[in-house]
Amino acid sequence: MEAASVAHAVAHEDHHGPPPAHRSSRVEPQLLGMLLFIISEVMVFGAFFTAYFFIRVAQGDPWPAPGTHLPVIPTLFNTMILVSSSITMHWALRGVQTGNYRALKAGILTTFLMGAAFLFIQINEYANIGFAPQDHAQATIFYSLTGLHGCHVFIGLCLLLFVTIRAFRGHYSPENHRGVEIPGIYWHFVDIMWIIVYTTVYVI
Amino acid sequence: MRTTLAKLRAPGLYRAGLGFAIGIAFATAITWVVRSSTGHATFHHYLSGDAILTVSLIASPIFFLVGLGGFDYWLYWAAGRPTRPEDHSSHGAHSWKDYFRINTDHKVIGIQYTVTAFFFLLVGGLLAMLMRAQLAQPGAQFVDANTYNGLFSVHASLLIFLFVIPVFAGLANYVLPLMIGAPDMAFPRLNALSYWLLPLAGLMMLSSFLAPGGAFADGWTAYTPLSIDAPIGQDFFSIGVQLAGASSIMTALNFLVTIITMRAPGMSFFRMPLLVWANFATSLLVVIATPFIAASQFFVLLDHALGFNFFNAGKGGDVLMYQHVFWFYSHPAVYIMMLPGFGIISEVIAVKARKPIFGYRMMAFSLLAIVALGFTVWAHHMFTSGMASWIRIPMAITTAIIAVPTGIKIFSWLATLWRGILHLDTPMLFALGFLTTFTLGGISGVMLAMVPFDIHVSASYFIVAHIHYVLFGGSLMTIFAGVYYWFPKMTGRTFDERLGKWHFWTTFVFFNLTFAPMHILGLEGMPRRVATYASKFADLNLFISIASFALGLSTLIFVYNIVTSWRGGPRAAANPWRGLTLEWQVSSPPPIFNFDRVPTVVGGPYEYGVPGAVHGIFAPAPVPATVGGGAPVTTGGGVHAPSE
Amino acid sequence: MPSRRSIAATGVAALIATAIGIALSYAIHWFPVQASTQAKNTDTLYHVLAIASIPIFVLVVTVILFSVWHFRMKPGQELQDGPPIHGNTRLEVLWTAFPAALLLGLVSYSFVVLHDNERKPAGKEIVVEVTGQQFAWTYQYPPSVTGGAPFSSTQLYLPNNESVDFAIRSKDVIHAFWIPAFRLQIDAVPGITTHYRATPDRIGSYPVVCNLLCGVGHSTMRSTVHVVAPARFEAWVRSGGASQSSTG
Ligand code: HEA
Ligand code: HEA
Ligand code: CUA
Ligand SMILES: [Cu+2]
Repeated sequence: MEAASVAHAVAHEDHHGPPPAHRSSRVEPQLLGMLLFIISEVMVFGAFFTAYFFIRVAQGDPWPAPGTHLPVIPTLFNTMILVSSSITMHWALRGVQTGNYRALKAGILTTFLMGAAFLFIQINEYANIGFAPQDHAQATIFYSLTGLHGCHVFIGLCLLLFVTIRAFRGHYSPENHRGVEIPGIYWHFVDIMWIIVYTTVYVI
Repeated sequence: MRTTLAKLRAPGLYRAGLGFAIGIAFATAITWVVRSSTGHATFHHYLSGDAILTVSLIASPIFFLVGLGGFDYWLYWAAGRPTRPEDHSSHGAHSWKDYFRINTDHKVIGIQYTVTAFFFLLVGGLLAMLMRAQLAQPGAQFVDANTYNGLFSVHASLLIFLFVIPVFAGLANYVLPLMIGAPDMAFPRLNALSYWLLPLAGLMMLSSFLAPGGAFADGWTAYTPLSIDAPIGQDFFSIGVQLAGASSIMTALNFLVTIITMRAPGMSFFRMPLLVWANFATSLLVVIATPFIAASQFFVLLDHALGFNFFNAGKGGDVLMYQHVFWFYSHPAVYIMMLPGFGIISEVIAVKARKPIFGYRMMAFSLLAIVALGFTVWAHHMFTSGMASWIRIPMAITTAIIAVPTGIKIFSWLATLWRGILHLDTPMLFALGFLTTFTLGGISGVMLAMVPFDIHVSASYFIVAHIHYVLFGGSLMTIFAGVYYWFPKMTGRTFDERLGKWHFWTTFVFFNLTFAPMHILGLEGMPRRVATYASKFADLNLFISIASFALGLSTLIFVYNIVTSWRGGPRAAANPWRGLTLEWQVSSPPPIFNFDRVPTVVGGPYEYGVPGAVHGIFAPAPVPATVGGGAPVTTGGGVHAPSE
Repeated sequence: MPSRRSIAATGVAALIATAIGIALSYAIHWFPVQASTQAKNTDTLYHVLAIASIPIFVLVVTVILFSVWHFRMKPGQELQDGPPIHGNTRLEVLWTAFPAALLLGLVSYSFVVLHDNERKPAGKEIVVEVTGQQFAWTYQYPPSVTGGAPFSSTQLYLPNNESVDFAIRSKDVIHAFWIPAFRLQIDAVPGITTHYRATPDRIGSYPVVCNLLCGVGHSTMRSTVHVVAPARFEAWVRSGGASQSSTG
């Protein structure tokens, strides 16, 4: 152990850091990275929507499958929960930007809870919907699109959880709020995606 | 005792092995919980080998990476603990062991990538040798049909996903930050993680030969519903592709952010070397297209492992949908496997012909045109698939038109050669070889765009010929050119020029002898993906097999040259080719942090023959910023090369 | 700068090489026999494509060889650079516009061929239903052909000079129904019926190949098509596909 730390100290001697990179663009690397990642994510959804398109539109299979029923109204309620959580997310971000830490904490916590509530209701819906993905292609697509979205909600929730922990530990400040902003962008993406999924799968 | 424990706790290969084992245990537990909670009657069903294997394929790589330390930083972040800013102690490699660790130095990662990829080239090539042994005679019983199908499937998957795509990412990882004057990539930890996904993906695909029922055997295209009914080996492909795909997307993100935000002062987009442009274009393709193959393999996995109905025609699924989703990625993928090569060729030809690239801007725009058009042609792989027949018309037109931007590139390279002073050494020979063989492969591609002709030769050996003319004669030639070209920079050593020339000529000759006759086989009616064939094709096949063995041997010249030169070749100068781009302005190999101070770019990258032209200087820029390609005020030795 | 004479000489050499290439593209025995009207159209298309692309390939190779020959670094030039030529707009427009025009021409011509090949001819047309299954083909002759009860056979008989509309299905995975002598193939896809049309015009027996990987037996999923005189075809159909032994 001791030898290792000595070695480390020695290693420190000849390890000066690299020169700071020149910033050739006004946009922040992290932000740009997140935006590009979201493009990739949109394409993942795009592929799943392609499957939906082929089965529902190109093949012309009835939707929903005969004998099944989609809970349009309860899910509308759930949709509203998720959409409101985007607003509380924004509230949290405004909070940290203006130094209002109470707003940050309250905002991020409500966002997290609303997201969790959404996921819980969605899983409950699966349990009671009365068909399984193995039954027919329509069910496959239904579960896949909503499930894919559910996975994204889950990832978003993990990010939010981490942000919440840090918010309560006071790691953010008006000068340093990128850690709230970037997960927030992801969360807005997840919400917008849900509106599309809801509209195409349940409403139309 | 204590040291073993310490080894198991510190990030590294030991802990990674432990993680791997935990992954399997985790998979066993989770399948047991899920199966018992969904109510299987007998104990036998609670533990299903296939289910455990499939979940292990997903879980163990992740646990392996956690063990290796790939996620350490993010886990700290997630736990709300203070994150340590990078202390850079892991930069550089001091012994070969450093290449087996998580390392965030783009130069180390570049070498990790390149060497790993070449390992898979040799393995994939070896599988091809086995295939050619089987095909040497009709009805040969060297391997059985199932194994043969596994051979070409793994051959193609390894060469595409573990060789061509990552080797380009590796070379660019090494030289791209240097070329734009950046100290590293934008996200070094992500970079390390994207490398480490690759060996896992490759070993997974390779180990599918050991799976019950044999390797995945539906070609690299894994068409449904065949892949749905396949044995468990199929999951090794579906999941391996996810890992390789995730790796590509992460690298592409990294390249895009690096190129956009980390260019040296003065390096506008139109002063970037074309290799940077090419990787910019490729990364756009990757970010947009790769999610589609991920999704296609999710569909297969869900159908295969959980009985979903994406492709079950009996329950309303759509079989052709797979092909649309797959090719929407896999056609752009062929440009992912070609555009970085175009970048390499531009570098090599400009330096070796001692002339500026002809039509620099058109070269950059044509890359973007290929990116855009590349998304509009996917169904040319489906002319005979039974899809709605009208789709063939727009797809055939766009496919033919994509030859125009490619042609612009070919002709501009030719014009760059014209009146230059050609240094015909190994990198240049490969570049010129590329121009000929790729043009041939591209032309056979254009013929395939002509629907009635494709209706005859689709899925015949004509396609196999096209594949290898573009992938070997195209991509691999550029890779060889690039490896020779940057070898002095990457290793600090000089390769043996004589052996390099031998390598080129044997490869060039035996490549053509191997693959040119395949056009004839295809036209005459020999289908691809067959373990045996009609006796009238016997003579040509024997000829091809013999030539292919010679081609395999020619690769060994390369391996020998690289290995011995790396270990004991003469020291390389900082700038042996007298290149202007920034990577040549630092020592070989470059200092740990690339530059002591960030250079300033004052002119175009290829101003050969322009008196006193300089691309970058290491002092602050001279006061009047010279515009465009004009010569800056400082003449001559403005380039400071800390060579030794 | 290379002399005008050497450029001219190279141009002549390139023309000769092109001529030889095109001659070879006719001389080499590329295709199996032509046994349908579609095959003739497709082969002509192929030759047109060869005539269009050989000059392009020769051009590329000629420029490379010429450059290697004339612009190779000579002793004493080690440190010299070439002239700083950055581009030439006229040339660039030319090599964008010319290939674009050529390609549009070729692709249009290919659509004409496609249209001809797929058009329903004026005369009589029979329907044959083809079913692919791991690892064999079966052929059903519907009442419209047999005049009575439909029957199915593992043999494919077709009357000469009559158009056939193949209706192709699959029972399991995707196969592809390829008759190289007709230059035609299409996939047999589970869940849908695909079609192609051929007019056999040469009496004889030709291989039928499954051309899409369908499992271990893919390499051996073969069959034969017998193109026979219409009278013989009638006889074969009337016997319910019995005369399987005698192949024509
Ligand atoms: C590096 C990889 C790569 C590249 C660059 C290309 C490039 C092209 N490919 Fe290829 N292709 C593959 C890899 C690649 N391909 C693979 C792997 C498959 C098989 C997949 C499978 O089924 O397993 C395939 C299959 C494939 C098919 C499907 C065949 C079938 O299955 O039936 C088609 C059809 O249109 C096609 C066309 C083209 C065209 C038009 C180009 C063009 O981009 C080529 C353009 C270049 C040139 C034309 C040369 C230079 C241009 C000039 C000198 C200008 C003047 C030229 C003219 C006027 C002609 N390719
Ligand atoms: C970059 C891509 C790439 C490369 C480089 C190659 C290289 C080669 N390929 Fe491959 N090939 C593909 C991509 C590639 N191929 C693809 C995409 C397919 C389609 C698959 C499908 O249908 O799904 C295919 C299919 C394919 C087929 C058709 C199979 C079939 O349809 O039945 C054949 C047949 O001859 C073949 C042969 C070869 C040969 C002889 C080489 C040679 O160039 C190989 C040369 C040999 C080496 C480079 C290695 C030499 C090394 C040694 C001899 C010793 C090694 C030592 C150790 C490992 C210890 N390939
Ligand atoms: Cu049926 Cu191949
Ligand atoms: Cu393609």
